[in-house]
Amino acid sequence: MSQIALFGLIASRMINMQKVPDYFRYYVSGLSVMTLYSAAIFIGFDIYEEAEHGVFEYLLSLPVSRRQLVLGRSIGGGLRSFIYVGPLIGVSLYVIGSVNPIGFLLSLFALFLFSFGVSGMSITLAVMIKSSDRFDILMGVLDALIVRLSTAMYPLAVVQAANPFYGGIANFNPVTYASDLFRWGTGIEAIITLENPLIPLIGIIAFFAFFTFVGITIYDRRIEGGGWQ
Amino acid sequence: MKAVLHILEHDFRNFFRYKWWLVGLISMNLADLFIMAIVYNHMLSEEVAQQIKNYFNFFAPGLTVTGLFASAFMIGREINMERRREVHHYMLSLPMTRMELAIGRVLSGGLRGMVYMSPLLAMCFVFLGFPTVSQLLIILAVLFLLAIGISGLSIAIAVSTSSLEKFITARGLVYYTLFFCSSVFYPLSLIQQLGQEGKFPVALVTLAEINPLSSASDMIRSFLLGTPSFSLNMIINVLIFSTIFTLCAAFAYIQIIERT
Repeated sequence: MSQIALFGLIASRMINMQKVPDYFRYYVSGLSVMTLYSAAIFIGFDIYEEAEHGVFEYLLSLPVSRRQLVLGRSIGGGLRSFIYVGPLIGVSLYVIGSVNPIGFLLSLFALFLFSFGVSGMSITLAVMIKSSDRFDILMGVLDALIVRLSTAMYPLAVVQAANPFYGGIANFNPVTYASDLFRWGTGIEAIITLENPLIPLIGIIAFFAFFTFVGITIYDRRIEGGGWQ
Repeated sequence: MKAVLHILEHDFRNFFRYKWWLVGLISMNLADLFIMAIVYNHMLSEEVAQQIKNYFNFFAPGLTVTGLFASAFMIGREINMERRREVHHYMLSLPMTRMELAIGRVLSGGLRGMVYMSPLLAMCFVFLGFPTVSQLLIILAVLFLLAIGISGLSIAIAVSTSSLEKFITARGLVYYTLFFCSSVFYPLSLIQQLGQEGKFPVALVTLAEINPLSSASDMIRSFLLGTPSFSLNMIINVLIFSTIFTLCAAFAYIQIIERT
């Protein structure tokens, strides 16, 4: 909230209106996606805590398949991050103003898939990297790069103008897809000039499907015989 | 003095135990500078571009100060953990006075901040130009004072909060208020302008003006970039902040570890 009230308000004063007509609304909508990403990542830290406290054995003893377990964790991680970010999304909608209901529901669905995908990615990496310290640093570096090399804080055209390499990465970044879709759904697509919302939607679905599938496969292999220890 | 050195050694050993955390912090700082600042540079309004010329150059001193803040603040987390795990009983059994123990903790927090900040400051010099020897000495002295003050602030919060969650919440509040209500990310004139238009509370404008993070960032800018012009108030602000929080932290630390 302080990021909206302080950084968003003041930073919008230093932005060129011709490049970003309403940076405050642009930033507020991007902040929801950035926070959703950071919140969904947290499920990975829970995996380490469970392994440390012996909860893993209990989970494995439950009458559910490994696939159901990892899928449930992905969806649970995504849902709880959504609950966490819910008030922020509410504030974003209040700031943004009018909303196209169908577009908004579609973008909300895309954000759900995005948060499930990020949770799946976090679980996959947590299971692959056995050291919580290394996981912590990797998540920090990923957070720094994925969020900053996306359109969460600035439009793609500006990123490309600043550095074509950065623009290339931002073009294939799930945070970009989620931010663009959320802005499209909330009716501020004029700021981002999104030509076809289907492209980021496909990108989000691919991201979700990849990490859910890979997450299930790796989780399945790693947990047998105490492989998580 | 020897006792204080032992405390410094103890805290520095702990500091380097968090090497992964430090690498994460450095990569976030570098991403802010080499990605965010470069992109923001292409979005500046004409008015701001005339004032600061280049956002990368403007932001580099601010980033140095945020790096110093984050690393000097780490000591609070350790002290909060020691309090919760009752390690302070062991600390109290050490052959040193309470005051030596308290001063040692505040000093080590500040010095750790200086160690972490040094490469960021060096990078600042490489990209923005080198200051004169006297300017360099003033920069180092002011940043050291700031680091001590931040360390004191963090210790004061750590000993006043009973759980990690409360400490993290208080830390977040302090971080965001001091970072965003300062000239670290944007020129102070923008905040003052918003205040004059009635869009920003006067209290927050005043906070931004006396904020030691604003003073330290603007002082480095004044030496390396020439704007804003140097003012003695920049040093006085940091000095007052440092004195208040060093004393608060030392006395609060002594009180708390003796009471619990």
